[in-house]
Amino acid sequence: MNLQDDFIRLVNDNRGILYKICRMYGDTEPDRQDLFQEIVIQLWRSYPSFRGDAKFSTWLYRIALNTAISDLRRQRRHLLTIDPGDLPTQLQDIQYSTEKEEQLRSLYAAINRLTEVEKALTMLYLEDKSYTEMEEILGIPQNNLRVKMNRIKEKLRKMTKEAVYGVGNA
Amino acid sequence: MELETLKTLWQEQETPPMAAGSHEELLALLQKRSIGPIARMRRNLRKEVIVMAISYGFCIIFYLLAFNGDMANVAWLFVGLLLFFYVYYHRKNQLLKKMQCVGCEVRSNLAGQLKTLQKYLRFYFWSSTVIVPLSLFVAFEIAFHSRTKPVSSLWLMVTLLCALTVGCTIAVYFLNRWYIHKLYGRHLRKLQELLQEMDEV
Repeated sequence: MNLQDDFIRLVNDNRGILYKICRMYGDTEPDRQDLFQEIVIQLWRSYPSFRGDAKFSTWLYRIALNTAISDLRRQRRHLLTIDPGDLPTQLQDIQYSTEKEEQLRSLYAAINRLTEVEKALTMLYLEDKSYTEMEEILGIPQNNLRVKMNRIKEKLRKMTKEAVYGVGNA
Repeated sequence: MELETLKTLWQEQETPPMAAGSHEELLALLQKRSIGPIARMRRNLRKEVIVMAISYGFCIIFYLLAFNGDMANVAWLFVGLLLFFYVYYHRKNQLLKKMQCVGCEVRSNLAGQLKTLQKYLRFYFWSSTVIVPLSLFVAFEIAFHSRTKPVSSLWLMVTLLCALTVGCTIAVYFLNRWYIHKLYGRHLRKLQELLQEMDEV
């Protein structure tokens, strides 16, 4: 199996992670496609030099998050309120119960209001990464990560409550 | 809704089957060029180099061959300028190559980008300011050598040249400051904000 086939197999095995990162950092479908393309290109360029010094997932997350966060051209639209119904329709292709779908929509809507760094932390937390792994990926000391994560949890708790119960009733 | 509950929801979320694309689509993707900002800056730099090489090349050949070789000195001046630009573009390209380390920790990558971008902009700023007196000197040399009448007052010419050089250099200094801020100011601020956020407790 040559290097390209090996690499494509790895991308397909990890497409879930790439999909979630693109959904998180891409505002629109064209943005997500551009971001996916750029992440794959950066992964491919770095692949020959990946020597297994770090875990594969650590390496993948570093490249994907570096690419997503460094894309400073994008004008961040900091929406103060977002109607979960405005979320793109890909979720509708996934067979979820109405309640689960609603919860997922609220979650993405809330995540969409976080900063780039907070999104990265949230992503890694939701993916069940330990604080040690998060430190290896982000380069932020574990103590700082814990403090930041507590703040993000509070923020998300408030935002998801607002989405369910309305603003002012959180 | 607690984040722990959402964790399960997040991890159970399905990826659409075509999220990554087919084998052929991915293979085609690997042949495409990067659309990242640094890759675009490097491509623009390459285009600038080609334009400079062609236009200066023509000037060098013209002054070597025209006027029966009397203006060969001017051609050598252009060669000197071309060498200056070679060093300038080489240095810019080196800095652009160093600007990104996608395989590094996110914080290191951002810090490296910020430091290298600041170096890059300082280099760009001073080089494009220094080129003004250099170019005026070359222009003066060309004009001086191609004159058909003797110079009535060399000192007047030199004084005028100095005044023009100082005036143009000061104007270009402020123009460069404004232009660099316009092009890269937002980029720099964003990198500083990201790093500040990562470092604060």
